[in-house]
Amino acid sequence: MIRINNLTKTYGDFTALDSLCLTVKEGEIYCLLGANGAGKTTTINLLLGFIKPTLGSAYINDINVVEKPKLTKNHLAYIPENLMLYPSLSAIENLDYFSGIANKKFKKSELEAFLVEAGLQTSAFHKSVAKYSKGMRQKVGIAIALAKDAKVLLLDEPTSGLDPKASNEFGQLLQKLRQKGVATLMATHDLFRAKEVATTIGIMKDGQLKQQWSVDTLSLKELEDSYLETMSYNSLQS
Amino acid sequence: MIVHTFRKEIKELWRDGRVRIAFIIVLFLTAIAVFISTNHYKNVNEQYVEASANEREVWDNQGEKNPHSAAHYGTYAFKPKYPLSLIDQGVDKYTGTSIFLEAHNRNEAQFIAASDQTGLARFGDLTPDFILLFIIPLLLILIAYNSITKEKENGTLTLLNSQGAVGWKIVFGKWMAIFFPVCILLSALFLITGLLLSNLPDFGVFSWASLFTLLVTYLIYYAIFINLILIISASVSKSGIALVLSLSVWILVCLVLPKAASNLAEYKYPYPTRQEFSENIAQDKKQGLDGHNPWSKAAKELEEQTLKKYGVDSLSQLPFNYDGYRMQKGEEHEAEIYFKHYNYLKTQYSNQNGIYQKLAAISPYLPVRFLSMAIAKTDYNTHWDFSDAAENYRIETQKFLNDHFAEASTYGEWGFKADADFWKQLPKFNYEPPSLSKIIQTNTSSIIIMLVWLVGSFTLLFFTTKSL
Repeated sequence: MIRINNLTKTYGDFTALDSLCLTVKEGEIYCLLGANGAGKTTTINLLLGFIKPTLGSAYINDINVVEKPKLTKNHLAYIPENLMLYPSLSAIENLDYFSGIANKKFKKSELEAFLVEAGLQTSAFHKSVAKYSKGMRQKVGIAIALAKDAKVLLLDEPTSGLDPKASNEFGQLLQKLRQKGVATLMATHDLFRAKEVATTIGIMKDGQLKQQWSVDTLSLKELEDSYLETMSYNSLQS
Repeated sequence: MIVHTFRKEIKELWRDGRVRIAFIIVLFLTAIAVFISTNHYKNVNEQYVEASANEREVWDNQGEKNPHSAAHYGTYAFKPKYPLSLIDQGVDKYTGTSIFLEAHNRNEAQFIAASDQTGLARFGDLTPDFILLFIIPLLLILIAYNSITKEKENGTLTLLNSQGAVGWKIVFGKWMAIFFPVCILLSALFLITGLLLSNLPDFGVFSWASLFTLLVTYLIYYAIFINLILIISASVSKSGIALVLSLSVWILVCLVLPKAASNLAEYKYPYPTRQEFSENIAQDKKQGLDGHNPWSKAAKELEEQTLKKYGVDSLSQLPFNYDGYRMQKGEEHEAEIYFKHYNYLKTQYSNQNGIYQKLAAISPYLPVRFLSMAIAKTDYNTHWDFSDAAENYRIETQKFLNDHFAEASTYGEWGFKADADFWKQLPKFNYEPPSLSKIIQTNTSSIIIMLVWLVGSFTLLFFTTKSL
């Protein structure tokens, strides 16, 4: 579970994140929408412990991110916009290494099972990932999360640059993880995919969470209108 | 985490062409260097064995002769070649190979190898020590300069951090992956060299302990270099900058600082010129007893003292030939003069060494260079040791000859000739170089500085990479 209370990050006079409050429970997918610089990535970096908040607190499975950053990392997995792996190693070797870093040891057959579960073609398992498409690399990222048995998944623009098929497959993988009880926080520009996979959607602007809906209460058209309205309001304001 | 990273890095390094090319370069260059050095030392050693035997034969078979004539005729002390000089030829090339031993004079070693070479020798020789001290650190830079920067540039470091990676453990895994192949390669090369050396005929006493100590010295040197390269790689964000900085460190540590140390040492503690040195000795000799001059003030004083000591009125009443006795006293006086002046040279050398030791704090090359030469017995200390042993042998030889002249002839009997068999009674010159334990004892400061570099660079690496 992810719990964020009044999380604020400032750089001098600039406020990157302003009193953010949100909760992502087990089996929920929370999509953060917003323009570039809205504070989505800052939120994820704060949860990862890469940067320290100016104010507020954040918890991963009730563990304070600031106080125990190493411990919280045992419970989460992260897939950035461009997941970079070691190009001279195969998917199996990359998975083995990243699992090892998280102190998880698996047999080869178990590693293969994670890759299968992540939807990677069997024929690609032993090929160098230098030849992988972005979609294939994202699947390896999901396999890393599966191997880690992460209860929290942080995704930063994971479908950006993916073709519709790959994006759809990725969405299905997230649903699988959701069914396993994983709490997912995804920063994205992709309204359609957000509506497809999310349980909750929030729109951020200037570091603030402006709107938040449960997906069940909202159609794609309404989401699009609200998003555009927020963005145009932003543009007019600026 | 460390072992995982080590295994991953080994795979990456092996699949990366750089390491294979670097290995091939080292093997190729080392093979050539060992081949050239082996041939060179085989030739030199054959010459040493032949010259030593010939010279002794000439000495033994000089026939009936006045002992003091034989003292002036002289003989040679030849400097032996040591097995590990094949790896590090040190200053051997510049210190000469033999010393002419004669009455009244202490001579410098002559037949300096460098003087026989053409101007092309200024470009340097391809020797194993050149590869060990300069080329391998350079290849380490080419292999390791982007170890950490590539993780930053590729974005894998972010993923590693999200997996809970501990910076220093990742870096130590990388460190092991760079060090391990070097360790294997170097151990294999030293093992082959050891087998080669231990099977060479007439190549002196080979010591596996010395070879192992030399191997450990170089491994520590490379460990320090790897630490420096990784500290740089961890401190900057771009691989290009890491490469330039690492190469700058190599230039500074291996080329600039040793030259600067040498210049500074020579500037602060200069050796006298050869002319000054000779003039100073000649001046001192004039003020003392000359065995050939019975009319000098010092000779007259000795005469009076001797007559008084033996309670006789004339030199012919003495129970020995006073001419031989005076010759020996003259030799003893001259030996003291040489001892004094050579001691001054040694003091200057020791002071220069002090400068090197101080500058070794900013260049790990210096202590390693000194240790390597010392273990290979090709440093100045060993040369001084040989030179002193040759001088002691010269003094003993003169005493042996003068005593015989004094005891076997009568005063004024300048026509006296020793038997043809007499010369064989002179013990052979048998130089024993310093043992490994003595070398380690003499070079304790270099060892300490090297270990301080090792521990210091590890500590700095740990704090630099604690949180990547």
